[in-house]
Amino acid sequence: MPIGGFVVQTEPAATEKVKKELACLQGVEVYASDEKGNIVIVIESNSSDDMEEIVKKITSMEGVFTTGLAYLNAEDEVEKIEKGEYIPNISLGHNKPH
Amino acid sequence: MGLSRREFLKRTAALTAASYVGLELPFTLHKEASAADVDKWVRGSCRLCGVGCRLDLGVKNGRGVALRGVPESRTNLGYLCMKGMLFYKVMGHPERLTKPLYREKKDQPFKEISWDEALDIAAKKFAGAVTAYGNDSVAYYGSGQALTEETYIFQKVMRGGLKTNNVEGNPRLCMASAVGGYLTSFGADEPIGSYADIEKAHCFFIIGSNMAEAHPVIFRRLMRRKLDNPDKVKVINVDPRVSPTSRIADMHMQFKPGTDLAILNAMAYVIINEKLYDEKFINDYAVFRMGKEKKQVDFAAYKKFLEDYTPEKAAAICGGNITPEKIRTAAHWFAKSPATMSLWTMGINQRKRGVWANNLIHNLHILTGQLLKPGADSFSLTGQPNACGGVREGGGLCHILPGHRLVKIEKLRNQVEEAWGIPKGRIPPKPGYHTVAMFEAINAGKIKAIWINCTSPAQSLPNADKYRKGMSREDCFIVVTDIFPTKTTELANLVLPTAFHFEKTGVYGCTERRSQLTPKAIDPPKGAKPEVWIVREWALRLAKELNDPVIKQCVAPFIGKEEGYELPKAIWDEYSQKLTKNRDNDLRGATYEVLKSMPDGVQWPAPTEAFAKTGGTVKKFVRGIDPLADKEAKDDKPYQFYGPAHKDRKLWIWLRPYKGPAEAPDAEYPFYLSTGRIIDHWHTTSMTGRIPELMRANPYAYVEVNPADAKRLGIKPGDMVEVESRRGKNVLPAKVYEGPIEGMVFVYWHDMHEDRMINRVTKDAYDPGSKEPEFKICACRIKRVSGPKPLKPYIVT
Ligand code: SF4
Repeated sequence: MPIGGFVVQTEPAATEKVKKELACLQGVEVYASDEKGNIVIVIESNSSDDMEEIVKKITSMEGVFTTGLAYLNAEDEVEKIEKGEYIPNISLGHNKPH
Repeated sequence: MGLSRREFLKRTAALTAASYVGLELPFTLHKEASAADVDKWVRGSCRLCGVGCRLDLGVKNGRGVALRGVPESRTNLGYLCMKGMLFYKVMGHPERLTKPLYREKKDQPFKEISWDEALDIAAKKFAGAVTAYGNDSVAYYGSGQALTEETYIFQKVMRGGLKTNNVEGNPRLCMASAVGGYLTSFGADEPIGSYADIEKAHCFFIIGSNMAEAHPVIFRRLMRRKLDNPDKVKVINVDPRVSPTSRIADMHMQFKPGTDLAILNAMAYVIINEKLYDEKFINDYAVFRMGKEKKQVDFAAYKKFLEDYTPEKAAAICGGNITPEKIRTAAHWFAKSPATMSLWTMGINQRKRGVWANNLIHNLHILTGQLLKPGADSFSLTGQPNACGGVREGGGLCHILPGHRLVKIEKLRNQVEEAWGIPKGRIPPKPGYHTVAMFEAINAGKIKAIWINCTSPAQSLPNADKYRKGMSREDCFIVVTDIFPTKTTELANLVLPTAFHFEKTGVYGCTERRSQLTPKAIDPPKGAKPEVWIVREWALRLAKELNDPVIKQCVAPFIGKEEGYELPKAIWDEYSQKLTKNRDNDLRGATYEVLKSMPDGVQWPAPTEAFAKTGGTVKKFVRGIDPLADKEAKDDKPYQFYGPAHKDRKLWIWLRPYKGPAEAPDAEYPFYLSTGRIIDHWHTTSMTGRIPELMRANPYAYVEVNPADAKRLGIKPGDMVEVESRRGKNVLPAKVYEGPIEGMVFVYWHDMHEDRMINRVTKDAYDPGSKEPEFKICACRIKRVSGPKPLKPYIVT
C-alpha cells in the first residue's frame, strides 16, 4: 500500500473542476490548492502499479498538465517483494518460449 | 498523538507536497517527529532519464523504501515523475542476477560459476582474441546509464591497455547528432545554457520532442512559466504527431515526417527577408559555412541559398497543416520574443540528417541573437541519465577520448597517455568502429570478443534481427554486465551480475552540463558487484595473460581500494583532476567532497573548488559568468567562443539543404513508421497488464494509427495490425486516434515480445556525420489481421 504526496498542476480556470474529479477517485485525497492551479493530493493505492495507473488517469484529465511526485513511501510493498508475496512485473527479456 | 503509521505517512506525504507550493495544511507533525518515516535519507540522482532530478532515497533496515524530491535542487525543484518508482522495485527484485553465469557455446544452458572463474575466463578470451586476431578484434559497448567512473575505466583499459578504440555506447543511438550539431555550430559540445533559462524565456520552440511525457519534470517548469505569463509566453510545437505537448502549444506545426529541415530553412528565409535578424550579433560572432570542406561564404550566398525555401515552397514540401502564414508567424515569434529557447530530443537526432537538423535549429538562434542572454538557448534534452557526463565527456565513443578530446589528434592522445603514465603512442590514432559498424563487424566475424555493459543492443539496434544473427555467432565471445537478464544476455557466453544505482557510488552528468554524485546507500544483492571492481580485477588478469605491464599500469592507481566508495572516488579524482584539466568541461572543482556538499551538483566549467561551490557555470562563453570565457578572452567582447572545434572562435551558420528520409514511403510500403524510445532496457510493465484489457496502461507496445487511415483500412481500436517493412514485421494492437499525421504510424520500443519488438522493423540507415541511426523514419505497410486478441506479456514467470 504505497503512499504518495503529489502536486497536480492545473489550468487555474479548471482547478475547481479537477478537484471535484479527484475527490471521486478511489485512494485520492485532496489536501489543499491555490489560485495558481496547484492541488496537493495524497494517493494511497494497493500497489505501486495501481498508483501509476491513477497518476496516468489524473494526468490525462482535462485541465491537468502534470502530476509531480514529491514524496513516496512504499515500505510495506518492499516487504512484500522481499517475502516473495509480490513480484514486480519487469519485462526483462528471458528466453521463455510462448 | 495516537496517529496510526499510515496516517502518519500520509500526513508526511501531504506536508512535503504542500511545502513545494508554499501551502499551509491544518496540521503539523512536530509531535510525531520522533516517529521517523525512515532510518536515514541518502541524497542522489534519479537514474531513469537525462533530466537529472535530485532525490533522497529513504533507507529502512538496509533497504530502499521511500523517495522524496530535493526542493533546493536547480534541476527538478523537488518534483519527480513516476519512473522513479522503478528504484525499489528493482532493488529487491527476486530476478536480479546474483551469480556469474557461463556457457562455452551459446546453445548450451548457463551454469553458475565463481567470480574468480568468471574473471579468468573473461581475461583469457579477450587476451586470446588479441593474440590471435589483433587488438581491433575486441570491443566494448557501453551505456548512457553507466556511471562516469564506469565508462571512464572501461575505455581506459580498452584504449590504454588493449590498444583499441573500439569503444562505443548506446548514446550513439540517441545523442550523437546533437553532439555533431553542437560541435559544428558552436565549436563545443553540450548546451550553452541551463534549465534556469526556462523561467526567463518568452518563446519556447519545441521540436521533435514530446516532453510532456518524456521529460515531465522539465515540462512542469515550462508550464509554470507559461501559466504565470499566459500572454507573454508563446509555445510552438513542431511535430508530425499530436501529443500532450502539442495540445498545450499556441501553435502546433504538423508536417510529413522528415520535412522539418525545410520548415527550419523557411523560418530562416523569413528571418533574413523580413530583416528579423540581429545584424550586430552576426557581424560580431558568426560566419557562414557550407559543404564538407566547411567553406566560408558570405551573407549574400546564404540569402541566395534560402531562396529555395520560401514559405510557399516549404509549405508545399511539408504538407500537414503547414501554411506559409504559419511559417511566417513562427519566425516572427521566434525572432522577436525577448528570449527564445528551443528544446528537442530524438525527433531531431535520430535522423539520416540529424546533424543538419541540429545545425538548422542553431542557425535560427545565431541569426536572431537568441543565445547567451538570459532565457535564450538552443537546448538539446538528453534521454539517458549519463549520456552527457559519462559517454560524451568521459570518452565513451569510438572517436573521442576523455575531456572532449578527439582520438585523431596526436597532441590530444599524448595528453591522455601522459596523464595515464603509459608510453606515448599506446592509444592507436584511428577511431574504432561506431555502433552500427561495430555490430556489422560482428556479423562479418571481425570481432572475436565484446563486452556489453548495462544495455541491450539485441533489442535496441535498428533492424535488430540482422545484428542478432551476428551476435549469436559462436566465434564472437560476448560478456554482458547487467542487473537483469535481457535479450542480449540470451546471446552471451558470460553474464556478470552488477550493483544497481544507490548500491554503488558514482557521478552522473545530466543534460545541462551538471555533474551529480550518488553515493552508495544500501548493499547490492549478495554476489552482485560494482562494475569498477569488475574492470579492475579483469584488467589485472589481462595484464598477466598478455604479459603486458602497461595494462596493469592502467589500473595501478586503483589497486586495493574499497569498491563501494574509495575506488570510484579514486577513479573520479583521476578523471576530473587530470583529464578535464584545462579542457572545456573542466571539472577539477567538482571533487566528491564538493559534490556531496551541494544539493544539486556542479555545472562545468568549474576549474576550482571555490567556484564549483557556487554551482558552477550557468551559461558558457559569457564573460563574468563562465570563468573560462574570462581566461580565454581574446578581445573585449562579452562572449568568447573558446570551444575546441572552432579555431576561428566563431559561431557557424550552416547552409544545409533539405534532404528527406533515407527510406520514404512508396507504392509498396506506403506508410511512414516512426518509433519512440523508452530509456530502460528492462522496462516495467504493470501487473494490470496481465488483464487482457488491451489498452489499459499500455502494458504492451501498440501501433498508433490515424483515424482516417484506420477507416480506410477497416482497422478498429484494439484490432491486431501487422506492421511490415522491408526488414521485418510486428503484429500489434491498434490504437486509433488523432496522434500521428495521416499516412504515418507510431510504435514505442518498450516491448520485448518477438511479435512487438519494433526494432525488427526499423531501418539501420544512419547519419553520415554522427553515425546515429534513423529510428524516427522508415517506410512500412500495415494491414488488419484480426480483431482484438488477448496478448501474452513478455515477462518473467
Ligand atoms: S524526469 Fe527523469 S530524472 Fe526526473 S524523476 Fe523522472 S525519470 Fe527521474
